[in-house]
Amino acid sequence: MRDGVCLEKESPAADGASQAADAVIRFEDVHYTYPGYDTETLCGIDLEIKKGSFVAVLGHNGSGKSTLAKLTNAILVPDKGRVLVAGIDTADEERVIDVRRTVGMVFQNPDNQIVANVVEDDVAFAPENLGVEPAEIRRRVDEALKQVGMYEMRMHAPHLLSGGQKQRVAIAGVIAMEPGIIVLDEPTAMLDPQGRHEVISTVTKLCRDKKMTVVLITHHMDECVRADRLIVMSAGKIIADGKPAEVFADVELMESEGLTVPETTRLLYDLRKAGMTLPGEELDVEGCAEEIAQGLRL
Amino acid sequence: MLKDITLGQFFPGDTVVHRLDPRTKLILVVVYIIALFQASGWVSYAAVTAATAACMALSHIKPGNIFKGLKPMLFIIVLTALLNIFYTDGTPVIPGWIITWQGIARAVQMILRIILLITGTFLLTYTTSPIALTDGLDILFGPLKKIKVPVHEMTIMMSMALRFIPTLIEETDKIMSAQKARGADFETGSLISRAKALLPILVPLFVSAFRRADELAVAMESRCYHGGEGRTRMKRLRMAGIDYAALIIGAAFLAAMIVMKKFGI
Repeated sequence: MRDGVCLEKESPAADGASQAADAVIRFEDVHYTYPGYDTETLCGIDLEIKKGSFVAVLGHNGSGKSTLAKLTNAILVPDKGRVLVAGIDTADEERVIDVRRTVGMVFQNPDNQIVANVVEDDVAFAPENLGVEPAEIRRRVDEALKQVGMYEMRMHAPHLLSGGQKQRVAIAGVIAMEPGIIVLDEPTAMLDPQGRHEVISTVTKLCRDKKMTVVLITHHMDECVRADRLIVMSAGKIIADGKPAEVFADVELMESEGLTVPETTRLLYDLRKAGMTLPGEELDVEGCAEEIAQGLRL
Repeated sequence: MLKDITLGQFFPGDTVVHRLDPRTKLILVVVYIIALFQASGWVSYAAVTAATAACMALSHIKPGNIFKGLKPMLFIIVLTALLNIFYTDGTPVIPGWIITWQGIARAVQMILRIILLITGTFLLTYTTSPIALTDGLDILFGPLKKIKVPVHEMTIMMSMALRFIPTLIEETDKIMSAQKARGADFETGSLISRAKALLPILVPLFVSAFRRADELAVAMESRCYHGGEGRTRMKRLRMAGIDYAALIIGAAFLAAMIVMKKFGI
């Protein structure tokens, strides 16, 4: 961003009254600067996230995507503009707990978010803080652990688990709060491929089966493929927003941001540039093959 | 060397001792320590030793684990023994020698006292999960909250510290390996040069511990932690019949020790 001055955004999100109703998270012209820094980390974000959707946020280090995540949970409060979570302004100090029980947050480092020596005690931490009845806590803990597939390991010590397992425990710890929304701030950045797979499929399942709203912050392309909506951030602004296939199709934009696109998209793009007529956008390998086969027939 | 740290270690099991309420065990340990300090003669030392051995047998804790825990205390044990042997007046073992029969007797009793003291407290931490232990402390010291003692804050700090011991040990090992790979030498040289060699381990360890603490605080807050007020617990502690039985036995034991002290045995 030039001298930290934000350019005026072209058009605010077109929000009809009907759309506003099922928006669980709403950013209204949000600006944020970290204390002691001159440049704005977020410059004028307008965003609405719909209930039950799986939204991936992609961007480089320093693009402001983690800051975006922290604003949804009242860990940070915007300098200008406001963030509404289920209709509650996150700047309202009286209702911070209400915001946090609605938006569960999973962080990058699995070791630094597990508070107890036993898996099930850790999952019980959030409901205990909320003053839930013991029998109800027990039920929520068991259910949350089953949902992430860690029920069999409920008596284990967290430091003996693998990275992927720890991160699933952290997810269970959040869903035991029964939030409607779960925000994951680069949950796979410190994991091996196996652990990444475990976490992403757990999250996808939560969204599809439990109708939870999921916001996944990441810098891995392949994790965004299954999302309903992909937001690309750069220098504190949203530069692309749409279905993953559509966003990736803009190969020039992605590459100007130094982001690689999935190999299938790349292939279709190169073939098209070479003069082939290919109408659709497919992200999975079979779909892509089908597409090319059709293109060859034309 | 770091693998020897037994502080806060817990061996899960399903024995009578494991099933006791943590509050019972905490009270019993205090009773045990008071009783131990009543011991003055050989009979009373034998009684405490027998009681400790019985508890060890009941809890299925292997003596090897206790010895492992005693290892770091070896220096203090030996020093106490030597001081007592050389600085107790009485009848010399051989006329003209500084070593007296009374000195030897006292040294043996002091060694026994230290070993029994450590063993008793180890039995508590070995058979009680840290969470149960801090919950027990939280309730036992609960009344102090009325006079503004931050009991909840202290117990949660304790459980966090216990939670992070293995994580920090792992990290220290990693840093040590990294420094060794770059030619650092921790094993040779004088005591001072070895102490200096530890600095490149401590600095990164502290920096990372502070970062961890910061991230942990944010994670706790985002899971709605707002102090002890209005907090509930998934596992409620309940005193059962065996707890009252154990407390009665403990009280009887203490009484017996006090009587033995009166008789000087």
